[in-house]
Amino acid sequence: MIIGGQEAGSPAQTLQGGSLATDAAATNGSVPAAPPLLSVQDLTVEFNQRGRRVHAVNGVTFDVAVGHTLAVIGESGSGKTVTSRAIMGLLPNTATIHGSAKFNGKELLGLSEKELRQHRGPDVAMVFQDPARSLNPTMKIGVQVTEAIRTHMPLSKEEAKDRAIELLQMVRLPAAPQRYQEYPHQLSGGMRQRVMIAIALSCHPKLLIADEATTALDVTTQAQIMDLLLELQDQFNMGLIVISHDLGLAASFTDEVVVMYAGRVVEQAPTAQLFSAVRMPYTKVLLDAIPRLERPSHSLLPVVQGRPPDLVNLPRGCPFNPRCPYVQDRCREELPPLTEGEPRHKWACFFPYHEGN
Amino acid sequence: MAVQVPEISSGSVELAGIEAIAPDQRGVLARKGSTLWHNSEIALPAAGLILMTLACFVAPFVFPIAGPNAGNLSYSNILPLSPGHIFGTDPLGNDVLSRVLYGGRVSIEVGLGSCFLGFTLGGLLGIFAGFKGGAIEVVIMRILDMFLAFPALVLAITIATYLGASELHVIWAISFFSVPGFARLARAHTLRLREQVFVVSSKLSGQRDRTILLRHIAPNVIPNLVTFSFLFIGIAIVVEAGLSFLGLGVPPPQPSWGNMISVGQSYLASNPDLVLIPAAFLFFTVMCLNLLGDALRARWSSL
Amino acid sequence: MTITAPDQQTAASSGSETLLEARHLVQEFVVRDQGGLKGGVVHAVSDVSFEIKSGETLGIVGETGSGKSTLARAVLQVPRPKSGEVWFRGQDLVKLKRGDLLEARRHVAMVFQDPYSSLDPKWRVSDVVEEPLRARRIGTRAERKRRVAEVLELVGLDPNVYGSRRPRQLSGGQCQRVAIARALTLSPSLIVCDEAVSSLDVLIQAQVLNLFEQLRAELKLAYLFIAHDLALVKQVSDRVAVMYLGKLAEIGPAEAIYREPFHPYTAALLASIPSPDPTVERIRAEDAIQGEPPSPINPPSGCRFRTRCPRAQDICAEVEPEMRMLGADHSVACHFPLAGEAENPLFTSTAPAAN
Repeated sequence: MIIGGQEAGSPAQTLQGGSLATDAAATNGSVPAAPPLLSVQDLTVEFNQRGRRVHAVNGVTFDVAVGHTLAVIGESGSGKTVTSRAIMGLLPNTATIHGSAKFNGKELLGLSEKELRQHRGPDVAMVFQDPARSLNPTMKIGVQVTEAIRTHMPLSKEEAKDRAIELLQMVRLPAAPQRYQEYPHQLSGGMRQRVMIAIALSCHPKLLIADEATTALDVTTQAQIMDLLLELQDQFNMGLIVISHDLGLAASFTDEVVVMYAGRVVEQAPTAQLFSAVRMPYTKVLLDAIPRLERPSHSLLPVVQGRPPDLVNLPRGCPFNPRCPYVQDRCREELPPLTEGEPRHKWACFFPYHEGN
Repeated sequence: MAVQVPEISSGSVELAGIEAIAPDQRGVLARKGSTLWHNSEIALPAAGLILMTLACFVAPFVFPIAGPNAGNLSYSNILPLSPGHIFGTDPLGNDVLSRVLYGGRVSIEVGLGSCFLGFTLGGLLGIFAGFKGGAIEVVIMRILDMFLAFPALVLAITIATYLGASELHVIWAISFFSVPGFARLARAHTLRLREQVFVVSSKLSGQRDRTILLRHIAPNVIPNLVTFSFLFIGIAIVVEAGLSFLGLGVPPPQPSWGNMISVGQSYLASNPDLVLIPAAFLFFTVMCLNLLGDALRARWSSL
Repeated sequence: MTITAPDQQTAASSGSETLLEARHLVQEFVVRDQGGLKGGVVHAVSDVSFEIKSGETLGIVGETGSGKSTLARAVLQVPRPKSGEVWFRGQDLVKLKRGDLLEARRHVAMVFQDPYSSLDPKWRVSDVVEEPLRARRIGTRAERKRRVAEVLELVGLDPNVYGSRRPRQLSGGQCQRVAIARALTLSPSLIVCDEAVSSLDVLIQAQVLNLFEQLRAELKLAYLFIAHDLALVKQVSDRVAVMYLGKLAEIGPAEAIYREPFHPYTAALLASIPSPDPTVERIRAEDAIQGEPPSPINPPSGCRFRTRCPRAQDICAEVEPEMRMLGADHSVACHFPLAGEAENPLFTSTAPAAN
């Protein structure tokens, strides 16, 4: 299915996601020439919580290419946030991390704090969920932006200030020069998030991670911010990872979707394919449970019973088996591996869902 | 300047995140006492305090320890680890071990006494002021602020001068700042709880204010007051020692860790243990109190 | 006083009887600046009127600053609105004295957003659910216990297992069920849900929504359902009201609001919702709605939405639009509503409407 009707190689901006050049190349059968921007292999993270081992991430593998937008979708406890924190080196010392996360071929896990600092900003940047907590309430906006700039670039105060105002205008913050002098509490949530994006982009990162960046915002503001992120991604040719629990967001704004459950990737596919041919029962169940405008009033949602799995005591076999409507005996015994069942479409299920089942 | 109206976080994922990590299904006691290792931060200081209390109050009845003032000048200034006087004797011939244990009684009594006053009176005032709000809150808190503003030392001197120095007076003097201290804490927590939705819900259920205070607010404020108590008792004990050291607290010959240190100062060169032993007891007790208070606070993280 | 099954009087009546009518509700808050002086007035709710019929679900949708939560609280008199009337079972709640208000409150209950803070962490589940009965001294101990068990089962929690548990031992979804159980204890005819599912994971949310629907069918409950998610609200409601900055922009049948929104703000909301269907062509946010939400302390003159409306004209700044009925039970407050245009120009779908 062609998204938005764009031709291969065309740099025109679409509403459905970042540049499609890589997608087109891949569909042609040729392998993208450059190594992926970010390559996560078999990432595992465990925490020690009062003597109990919490298996937050259990073997996650995915790639992000330049100019590509990847959605990482999962509910709470799926491990999506821990994964992004691991990539950024933001996990506490109590975390045990295995596996690899390579940025342009360079290993990120296990870097020293000093190396990480050089890396955050120019290479990878992150926008967090709650701008109220990510911005220092006692510092003016302008200072926070220039601070971010001057950490990585040898600019004078004046130059940094000019650049900061430029950035604030780039993120379409209204009345940027005035806002420069204001404090975070004087801005609305949407504006604060724009400032966060400006700070994240201050050093032209090659990869931007938006971790639930729009969750705390109103839906109209969310739409504006997502449009902005995609425009900027196109402008700077960045890779973009959108982490969310909102499948609708993934459908509207991304190229590829990775679905996580109990710390594992359970389905991975180009966006259109995921929604038109969903295979993993969990994804199907998630899709069915989203409230839709098209549904008539008082319609009952198809629900699964149970709660998200206990990350301390993961069930045997597939972690979704206690709740899966299509569960069979094998699911309770063996852990299904993530396999590429269809071109570019991977899932971890022995009995995937097919339309008409 | 635009004043921002607090935003409702639409779909706070962090909150929903509680769904994922299975709530600890075990009961409260089972969790707390599950393994001694995991509770050592509570068990060890608690054991230390229990030991100290038993030593000060019970040991003199159980063991053949001389009275704190049963000394004889002929036995003065014996060094520690001598037969019959494991901690030696003071300049008047009194057994130091005995004096330090009896002195401990004073410290514990003062600590508990002033804390009790603060906890009950201060807690009551604080919760009431916090819940009622308005003029009542302002009046109560400002009066308590006045007490807090009073320089404690000057107050203690005044009391000691006009009413005489005694253990009871020390308790009163310390209460001048324990009551406002507890009241402030109680009020702060009450203000926080008042906004919690279960209080609104309770009101909607038809519950009267009095019942809400008793059944909802108080049980949630009290644990915070308890953890503060441990820390406060430590403070009170040190204050008492300080006052006694200055001669404003327990008067000799009744022993107190403070006045023992005061007397022992002059003998620092010849018999430093006269200072070190009560100081060590003081240090140990307050450290256990602080550790326990901290551990409980960490464990009982409130809503 | 015995506890009866769901109040047969109101429940058995046909769905066309008005259960609750709010008229010209106004709620304001004074904002104090640092010195304690009056800094400004937040016009949280400005002249809002609506009605809920027996057994009906009215959804109220709005974003931050819309005043929807304040409206819910004003209806329940916590605190009393500055002015206006709330007619419920033949009485104006605003004017009621404490004792009468208490009696009236038997028939309406509320479920809040945060499942954990709506339950006292020190109380057991059975005590929490029992509270409305104990507070009013209804029933004997045995009767109360029976009612608690009954109501816990209604929400799908086994009273023997969950009765003695504390909130800390429950998940978010379970806590919310307990809150719902507590709301059902006195057999209300109306339940106000203030973002009751917004804090829950999607799958758990679906479970709780289904529970609401089941209870609605079984107990003939009416709901006032407040949320910021229009798709969610539309799915559970018979009628939907859209609020913006303290005012009602539009109110009408859920389906009509969706298919044929009259107010530009409603259209903007619909356009902003990311659809879980990649084939739907999305409108650029800038085309649907511009700029930032203004502050409720100094709302724009005339129509409050005009600063962000793509259709605003001079008159919108001068004259505040009145609520006009333009469709079947479908009213809008706008000088240039979208009514009469064949299809919503801001919202098109290339895929056939899914069912």
